Amino acid sequence: MARVHRHTVYRQPLLPLWAVVLGVGIVIGIATYPFYGQEYVTSLLGKFLCYAIFALSIDLIWGFTGILSLGQAVYFGIGAYFVALSLKINYATLHPTRYGGTIPDFMEWNGLTELPGFMEPLLSVPFAVVCALLIPTLMAFIFGVITFKRHIYGVYCAVITLAEALILQDFIIEYQAYTGGFNGITDYSNYANVYFLWVILAVTVFFYIAGRMLTHSRVGTVLRSVRDNDVRAEFMGYNVANYRIFVFCLSAFMAAAGGALYAAWVGLVSFLDTGPVFSIEGVIWTAVGGRGTIIGPFVGTFLVKGAEFFLSGVLADFWQLIMGGLFIFVVLVMRDGIIGSIGKWIRRHRAGSIEQIIADSDAIAADRQRDFRPAGASRQSEEV
Amino acid sequence: MQAVLEIDKLTTRVSGYTILDEVDLRIHANELRVLLGPNGAGKTTLIDMITGRYKPTSGKIRFRGHDITGLPPDRIFRQGISRKFQVPNLYETLSVFDNVMVSLKGERRVFSNLLRRTSPEDSDRIWQVLEWIHLVDKANEAADTLSHGERQWLEMGMLLASGPQLLLFDEPTTGMTEEGKFQTAEMIEKMAQDHAVLLVEHDMHVVRQIARTVTVMHQGQILAEGPLSEIVANETVQQVYLGKGGNGAS
Repeated sequence: MARVHRHTVYRQPLLPLWAVVLGVGIVIGIATYPFYGQEYVTSLLGKFLCYAIFALSIDLIWGFTGILSLGQAVYFGIGAYFVALSLKINYATLHPTRYGGTIPDFMEWNGLTELPGFMEPLLSVPFAVVCALLIPTLMAFIFGVITFKRHIYGVYCAVITLAEALILQDFIIEYQAYTGGFNGITDYSNYANVYFLWVILAVTVFFYIAGRMLTHSRVGTVLRSVRDNDVRAEFMGYNVANYRIFVFCLSAFMAAAGGALYAAWVGLVSFLDTGPVFSIEGVIWTAVGGRGTIIGPFVGTFLVKGAEFFLSGVLADFWQLIMGGLFIFVVLVMRDGIIGSIGKWIRRHRAGSIEQIIADSDAIAADRQRDFRPAGASRQSEEV
Repeated sequence: MQAVLEIDKLTTRVSGYTILDEVDLRIHANELRVLLGPNGAGKTTLIDMITGRYKPTSGKIRFRGHDITGLPPDRIFRQGISRKFQVPNLYETLSVFDNVMVSLKGERRVFSNLLRRTSPEDSDRIWQVLEWIHLVDKANEAADTLSHGERQWLEMGMLLASGPQLLLFDEPTTGMTEEGKFQTAEMIEKMAQDHAVLLVEHDMHVVRQIARTVTVMHQGQILAEGPLSEIVANETVQQVYLGKGGNGAS
């Protein structure tokens, strides 16, 4: 029953050529930088890549599905803490303190004499990595079921996630014997070498391509329809809660992976990586770069964090103010962010000038007028 | 003919107010039923009950033999009931084509949609629907660029694509030009050849154009039911709704 028709749908290819070229260029640039560049910048690159994964995870739920989470750092942070604890515990067993203790220093300071039983499994780094990835995803699933199944979203959801982040932050500070408290976890052997940078790079590329594939798929279109009009989607047969839970869990997994890599790369994690400030920073990077796009989060993260690096020496006191101002500016003036605005500009130029658009529209309206039949002209029989 | 939708003694009380009062309604396959009534009569609430937006206080709704009372909206859709809202509800940033594509009859579950591609048959069906609603030339435009009448038609197209057995239209000609209303009424009449249709309308021109059996509601109750000619002649209906000159609302 195939019909021949002249109509075509405008579809972006899954991986446009310009994106592939740009992506390969960036990957090669970052992968080779350690061989000739400054060590300090290399360490920043690794950090920024982890942040870029974090920002993408926010973009998937916010830009594409319309869920604003102000507590995404919860998943990043728990992923980071699992890995950091594991590495720290392993480091402590191999490097006894001057008193001969083989447990992490912050545990000693808090009066513990041996490793708590429930932490012993963390001696295995692979196990810790699995926990780092799965436990945040499980938490996200539980959160999703409790919140989305009850149709709680929008502002209320944002506030609940904010509360989550605050609670976790307080929890970490409170239970300092197990978490390192205010000082965080530091002084452990971290993987700050070029090969691990390649690992981080590979994971970043993987997540970005996976994100592109997801948003390009039918599920991506459904997520966008949930974002645009969740009532219409529900009455069109979609279980909106299930879709939200799905993308929320995926996003938590991604954030957790970013956190795990971060802990291994940087060598210091603290409650600051789990709280509302870091969560909102991620939202800002995504907003600036362009929510609802895939490379937007990457661009926003590197741009804002890069600017912070270069300018905070000069403008240290004002940096938070500038960040806040930047967020307000983007939300009010440039809603689509940098990448989104560029995309819009390109599309408008492709469509032609304003005069051309108006002329086309007038022509279509004129055709409709000509084809209009007066009321009642075609009615053959009146039943009433 | 078999009754496709059976509503028995449907009652809804909220905060002491009775919004629907023991409503009985039967709609048959391929029937076009018009639902009239002044504002506040309970017409939209009735549609909300049928489509699962709210749960009734008592009473039963049966669709093709299955009890659907109180089911969630997405499940009721999958039983075969599609609803058009009073204000056009579209996916604003999606293209016209994608609005219809995502509404196509078919798989709704998350994991089944992960690897789903639009088949040639699906694509043909979408173009068929777009031709029907006169929006072929706007297929790649975002839904929020359409005029009001086009938005109404797009939503109707989405309903058509979803392949239901029962279509519920809530004042679909609101805000349209005379030409638009005429074409919309024609579309609905054509749809009724293959679907059961319940049409809530205020515009008497449209009603006179396509109505056969009419049900009139007032203050949550069914006031009268019958062919349009009887309804127009019914004195109670005249007093309550049409006004003593028989002029018609809006």
